Amino acid sequence: MRIFQYSLFVSIFIIGVSLYMNLEKPIAKPSSPDQCMSCHSSTTNMDKSHPIEVFGCFKCHGGNRYATNKKDAHRGVVLNPSRLEYANRFCGECHSDVVKRVSSSMMQSQNGILNVLKFQWGELSTPIGLEGVVELKDKNSTSLAESHFRKACASCHVNQHEDVFDDKKYARGGGCVDCHRIEKGHQEKNHYVHSKLSSKIPSKNCLKCHNRSNRIGISYFGKFESEGYGTPYKHGEFSHKLDGSRFYYELPADIHHTKAGLDCIDCHTEKGVMGDGKKNHHMEDAEDIKCNDCHKPKFKKADSLAVMLSDLNGNIPETKSIAYTNKKNSPIYNLQKDKNSTKFYRKRDGKAFDMSNMSNKPYHTLDIHKRLDCTSCHSSWVPSCYGCHEVYFENGKQFDWVKREVTKGSWQEFRSFLRFESPSLGVGYNKKIMPFAPGCQVIGTLFKDKKVEKFHAMAMAGWDPHTTQKEVRSCEDCHFNPASLGLGRGNLDIKNNRIFFEPFYNSKKSGMPFSYPIDGFVSSDGKQFQTTSRKDARSFNKKELQKIVGAYKCILCHDRYSDKIYKDFNKSKILFNSGKTVCLD
Amino acid sequence: MLRLIVIFFMLGLHLNAEDCVDCHKKEAQKCQSSNHYTLSNAINITRKAWGIKDSNVTLQTIPHSKIDVKKPSDLVDDFLRRKCLKCHLNVKNSGERGMKRQRGCLACHSKHSKKGRCQTKKIAMSKCLSCHNKEFVGTDYKGLFPKDYSHSFRTPLQKDGKYPSQRYGIDFHHLNQDIHYKLGMSCVDCHNNKNGKNWKKNITCKDCHKELSKSNHKEYHSNISCSACHSSWNMSSYELSVFRDDTADYAKWKDLTLQEDAYLNKFLKKALKSKKKIKPVMPDWVDMKQKKGVWYSGWRYRRWEDMVLGVDMNGTIKILRPIFQYRVSYRDANGSMVLDDVSSVDGKPLEAWAPYSPHTITKKAKSCERCHNTEIKKGGVYSLKIPKVIYNGKALSKTQTDRLKSYKYKKIRAKMLN
Repeated sequence: MRIFQYSLFVSIFIIGVSLYMNLEKPIAKPSSPDQCMSCHSSTTNMDKSHPIEVFGCFKCHGGNRYATNKKDAHRGVVLNPSRLEYANRFCGECHSDVVKRVSSSMMQSQNGILNVLKFQWGELSTPIGLEGVVELKDKNSTSLAESHFRKACASCHVNQHEDVFDDKKYARGGGCVDCHRIEKGHQEKNHYVHSKLSSKIPSKNCLKCHNRSNRIGISYFGKFESEGYGTPYKHGEFSHKLDGSRFYYELPADIHHTKAGLDCIDCHTEKGVMGDGKKNHHMEDAEDIKCNDCHKPKFKKADSLAVMLSDLNGNIPETKSIAYTNKKNSPIYNLQKDKNSTKFYRKRDGKAFDMSNMSNKPYHTLDIHKRLDCTSCHSSWVPSCYGCHEVYFENGKQFDWVKREVTKGSWQEFRSFLRFESPSLGVGYNKKIMPFAPGCQVIGTLFKDKKVEKFHAMAMAGWDPHTTQKEVRSCEDCHFNPASLGLGRGNLDIKNNRIFFEPFYNSKKSGMPFSYPIDGFVSSDGKQFQTTSRKDARSFNKKELQKIVGAYKCILCHDRYSDKIYKDFNKSKILFNSGKTVCLD
Repeated sequence: MLRLIVIFFMLGLHLNAEDCVDCHKKEAQKCQSSNHYTLSNAINITRKAWGIKDSNVTLQTIPHSKIDVKKPSDLVDDFLRRKCLKCHLNVKNSGERGMKRQRGCLACHSKHSKKGRCQTKKIAMSKCLSCHNKEFVGTDYKGLFPKDYSHSFRTPLQKDGKYPSQRYGIDFHHLNQDIHYKLGMSCVDCHNNKNGKNWKKNITCKDCHKELSKSNHKEYHSNISCSACHSSWNMSSYELSVFRDDTADYAKWKDLTLQEDAYLNKFLKKALKSKKKIKPVMPDWVDMKQKKGVWYSGWRYRRWEDMVLGVDMNGTIKILRPIFQYRVSYRDANGSMVLDDVSSVDGKPLEAWAPYSPHTITKKAKSCERCHNTEIKKGGVYSLKIPKVIYNGKALSKTQTDRLKSYKYKKIRAKMLN
């Protein structure tokens, strides 16, 4: 069925293109099967694939295609047919599979955010659930976490109404166009420029939403949301502005950006982004791409989807052998292999980059590091916002992004301090070791009618920060840095194989309702202080901490993988344990 | 006699002179040559950082800035007079809670008791902290680290939903306190005047801690200051952007009214509320006159866990701090940018790092790694962690840096760990 749709799509596309080669000219007046054109004759085409000459207006916008007066013609017209409540009727006629997938995707439901939030705030016993934006819409009562979700988080989902944003620059939502629109429709002097859609989604569309919370969108481009000083002042104004009163400063950007200028879509496959039709619980379930998919690729014959996608893209050559994701078997049609070389093509413009496989050096193959996720070594920094002080005013009023009206109760966010250096490590959702940062450390104060209530829900979360570098952290930065180990900032020492740690931060004196340091994920004897955002994620335990820190005494000297002990580490270990090699001679 | 009259005039201006100077001639004379009176250290290091080569002025001789500004050094005196020099013996009240003082001798030598105010030899810590606060040694002794300026850092809210009240013009994080503070000691317990020398320099740790118990104090760390190892955390305030604006442009500062400056906070709040146009004025704390223009400031970022080592004038290894890395802007009343984010003059950055002794002493010294594992990453704002201009000292030599990773060190450390 899907193949049929795609071939239908492709053939319409080819017919369209071959018939009308001059569509790009702005004032071309296409003829249309619909009467609409008697008024809207100056409307330009939105893209190569949907020429008005073939599609007319009715097919996408509804209304009465035969009427010639405005009132009759506009009856039932839908301005934005890509909103998900209409998309099935209009876009879905050709793209029904995609519309279905997007409608059940996480970017639409936000169930990942809502259920983790409810779990962390003690309203659910697990962070897993399918309740999302759609379900909240029909709900009259609201819990505390739901209230926070409505007033803050729910502004970002693909079917949000664009018209609710006061500042149009940051408007999000609108269904398919949320991501696919590269130019908004507008009237020009003597013609109307139809909204332009594309499958080559620019990263700035992703960044409309992916710039807060774990901030991967901005981190990727080397921007760290700063303490808000707006320094240095340039021309008498603040510089480094993100939006509103948010500012950033520069840190090393992700190597995929600095080296190849890759966009989000160069890695993130259509299935990973638009969903696979399943209702997923967490981002990582929905996610498709993994580092290995490109850096240790398996090549197979290009399938029909790959052919269709590269054809639609237009910049990427069609080839026989392409890579596929390991997880969902999606074609990575821009990673191709021919006889002599492996090339990665940038989707934006087709620029080719030579790819070589991940090396087989000890650092990638050693057993001692087999539990490490790539990100634990290759992520150079993580935006870490310590202390998320949420203040709720019961009698305040604030916009509810689900209901789209101002309702009772308002939230305001404060923070303690920010860091980016030496990401904390822990055991992530995939049971591998990865960077962790506050996510989120909520210290709540509820101003109710006659009383003030307090609660706290301190949590750390692990994610790929998208700050990948070829150069990795030093051995000491993991094995003897208390911040990396999750202990927090302070003074770490070992004596008689016991870990001693004295934190710098005094939470109690700083007004927190707990006594462990706010940047402490775990104590030096392995007691986890804070929860996480996933069922399986956790801090290091006592045994792990001792093992990691215990290895430091060897690392002092053997601090390079080129060191001969790593050549055959098991053999080295046997030799050492049997006393055949001695250190410190 | 003339000299006495001068001292009388300078110190005694605001108190009955016969109360102090008539009897305490010697002390008054000594005070006049002290840094507390001249503030020459703070003044000259900043003037040098801003590009004045051989600066040697005091609070008493600091000139006014030129009217015709071409480079940062033309503006440094104005900056000092209006942002820094609010802490001298003749300023009674710059508006910050905790920074109220008497003038002259009583700035330090007064105390409040049930009987009323009286003079005292035992100077309360609060008197010292009324100047020695925020980025400087003083409040660090109590474990205080200034919070960032934006209103979003002003937590936790009070019971009535209002922002917490500030001390010294800002809110504070509470970090590890100095062990001497924990044991109930106040500033003058160490910094006293017993042997009659210039009291700032007279005290060293060794004066009290004569017996150095452990072997590593002698063996290979003989040339290192006690505080380099025994301080818990220290102050690294990276890149201070300062901006004098002579135009009435206030709206953008609405989230940043708190800039460790009570006058500015009050002024901005008033200006932001007022429907009338409020003239941009700020006091000159030396001659106490309101003058044209308002100085704004903001950091790049601040840290308590970073540590950069250097060498002081005596060759002792100490912790360095940036005071500060400046970027200077000036917009005149016509709205033209006379100085637009100037961060160097003739290729020399407007910065000063200096060796210092953090007053965050702990009994247990740092682990070796805090010094020996220093690694500064490349790229972006990481580069601010590398000192370019150091006053009253210098960077570690190559030999010293190499020694941090020497085989000898590794061997000794590994033995300690095994």
